[in-house]
Amino acid sequence: MNRIITLLTLGASSLALASAASAQSAVQQTADSYYVAGQAQLAEKIASQPNVARAKNVVLFVVDGLSVPTITASRIHEGQLRGVDGESNVLSFERLLPYTALSKTYTHDSQVADSAPTATALVSGVKSVNGTIGVTQDIKLNDCASQKGAEVTTLFELAEQAGLATGVVSTARITHATPAATYAKVAGRDWENDANLPEEAVAGGCKDIAAQLVDWPAGDGFEVIFGGGRGNFLTVDQPDPEDEGRTGSRKDGRDLVGEWTARHNDGVYVWNKEGFDAIDPANVNRAFGLFNRSHMQYEADRAKDAGGEPSLAEMAVKAIDLLDKNEEGYVLMVEGGRVDHAHHAGNAARALTDTIAVAEAVEAVFEKIDPAETLVILTADHSHVFSIAGYPTRGNPILGIAGKADDGKPYTTLGYQNGPGAKLDEPRADLTDVDTTDVDFLQQALIPLGESETHAGDDVVIFAQGPWAHLFHGVVEQNLVYHVMEHATGLATRAALARQAAAQ
Amino acid sequence: MLTRRLLLAAATTPLLAPLLTPRAAWAAPEALKFRDLYVRGRELTEKAKALAGREVRMIGYMAPPLKPEIDFFVLTKLPMSTCPFCETEAQWPDDIVLALTDRPVEPIRYTDLIRATGVFETGFETDPDTGFMSFIRLRGARYEKL
Repeated sequence: MNRIITLLTLGASSLALASAASAQSAVQQTADSYYVAGQAQLAEKIASQPNVARAKNVVLFVVDGLSVPTITASRIHEGQLRGVDGESNVLSFERLLPYTALSKTYTHDSQVADSAPTATALVSGVKSVNGTIGVTQDIKLNDCASQKGAEVTTLFELAEQAGLATGVVSTARITHATPAATYAKVAGRDWENDANLPEEAVAGGCKDIAAQLVDWPAGDGFEVIFGGGRGNFLTVDQPDPEDEGRTGSRKDGRDLVGEWTARHNDGVYVWNKEGFDAIDPANVNRAFGLFNRSHMQYEADRAKDAGGEPSLAEMAVKAIDLLDKNEEGYVLMVEGGRVDHAHHAGNAARALTDTIAVAEAVEAVFEKIDPAETLVILTADHSHVFSIAGYPTRGNPILGIAGKADDGKPYTTLGYQNGPGAKLDEPRADLTDVDTTDVDFLQQALIPLGESETHAGDDVVIFAQGPWAHLFHGVVEQNLVYHVMEHATGLATRAALARQAAAQ
Repeated sequence: MLTRRLLLAAATTPLLAPLLTPRAAWAAPEALKFRDLYVRGRELTEKAKALAGREVRMIGYMAPPLKPEIDFFVLTKLPMSTCPFCETEAQWPDDIVLALTDRPVEPIRYTDLIRATGVFETGFETDPDTGFMSFIRLRGARYEKL
């Protein structure tokens, strides 16, 4: 019987080969360069094998506001900046993270999400309410009293409980929604320092986000914290070290940087590039870097920062150098936080250059990790109303003019559906003599919405590689990201066992 | 409590001297971009230093004036819906320019691009009437919507 099955199988294989051979000979365009490239890509897909080993490490890249058009435009821009064909260019994360899915980003109460509940979905596995962080659908927005019983456990807390190292890196304020979701639980995302807390929250004992970071009770705390938002950790009486004449924002008298430093004698606090470069993972076990009073600079402006700032790639690599000291493994979030801000400003050039900075960070991380034992994911929290339009010719500058409209004026390839680029009850501007490739140019928009363009509700992409990355396929809910990370690491069970062992 | 304005003033008084450079009326206004203001932090570029006392034209946005009948506005690189210069608590950007006008400002919507022309001044200065502090100014500013 077995012999018969074998023969049948061999016969089927031969038949398949024969079919393939005849199919190829029946096709006229097999020598065409696109056809050849398509065949090569097919071979890659056939050769890929799912990895079902346990993930030792997890690196979660979150690119705030990375819509699909942002990926496409950044890919083209990066290629054009290097002088190669932009349209067929490949960003590092497209090449290195082959498993993909579409992520549905709606939240418990909104068609279009903000960054707070979406970050909760990514790191805690539940959809929640816009404007809230680290809490379930049971929360009431800005209502401190509703927090009790609604708080979630994050993957980072599980990792700490299980004895892994943890890190959070962002170019935004480290108290901003996305990084905050790894450690904070608040009914209001704006509660970044105590001065932002409403009276009801103070009376109810709700703590601001910066204080929650320093007081984080999980394990022995983050080994790595790199980002902006220094003002939320210093008091109004503490002068900012970089920003002349400015102080911290805290009014409760808590010097959170001083508290962190006192608590962790195995760590180092830094606020500028010089201090960052001096961090030697051989000598310290943890690092706390706050490189700007508010958000860190856009990549396009980073060189002009007064104190100097590390790049996202430099921060990610340094983070892994520190986290990798833990033999149990690590969980790291790396956020490209300012793609979103540039889009809100209607400024495509900065959104694209910040996306390219993320691609460079992914490339740099891959030089540090073992891909077979590290689950690497890159995704966005939500989309933006950003589009690539017209019929520009192949190779046309992506920041350039696509053609002329019915009003006789040129229009750009990139544009926004709403935001600051729109005129209020006036015809749009004539771009004939305008350099639309200038980094400060704001793309035109249809609907005037003040200084801030809006998020969009379309799906975003999840890219992944490593253990269990193959689970990302199809159209999935955003909160699946947490569930795959947990499944790949087994951290819920490991944390429970560690807690049990500690109790005994 | 020491306010940021007082701190800024105390730290920068020696920088006021270049303000006295006479206006070079004969030169056509030179275009100056926001990105050409600073090398790093508050360190001015050679171009910006060289233009002190001369008439320049800058393109940007008019932040909403603080109140009606006021003779200054803030020129910003990107649109800002609040006057960044007037809100001490706001996270206002470093690269803003105070435009001092000879007559009351006629507001232009903060998302409309404008061209402002005036005599370029650098160095911290506190306005005696309002107490507002600035580092870069266009004095005698005229402006037009683009």
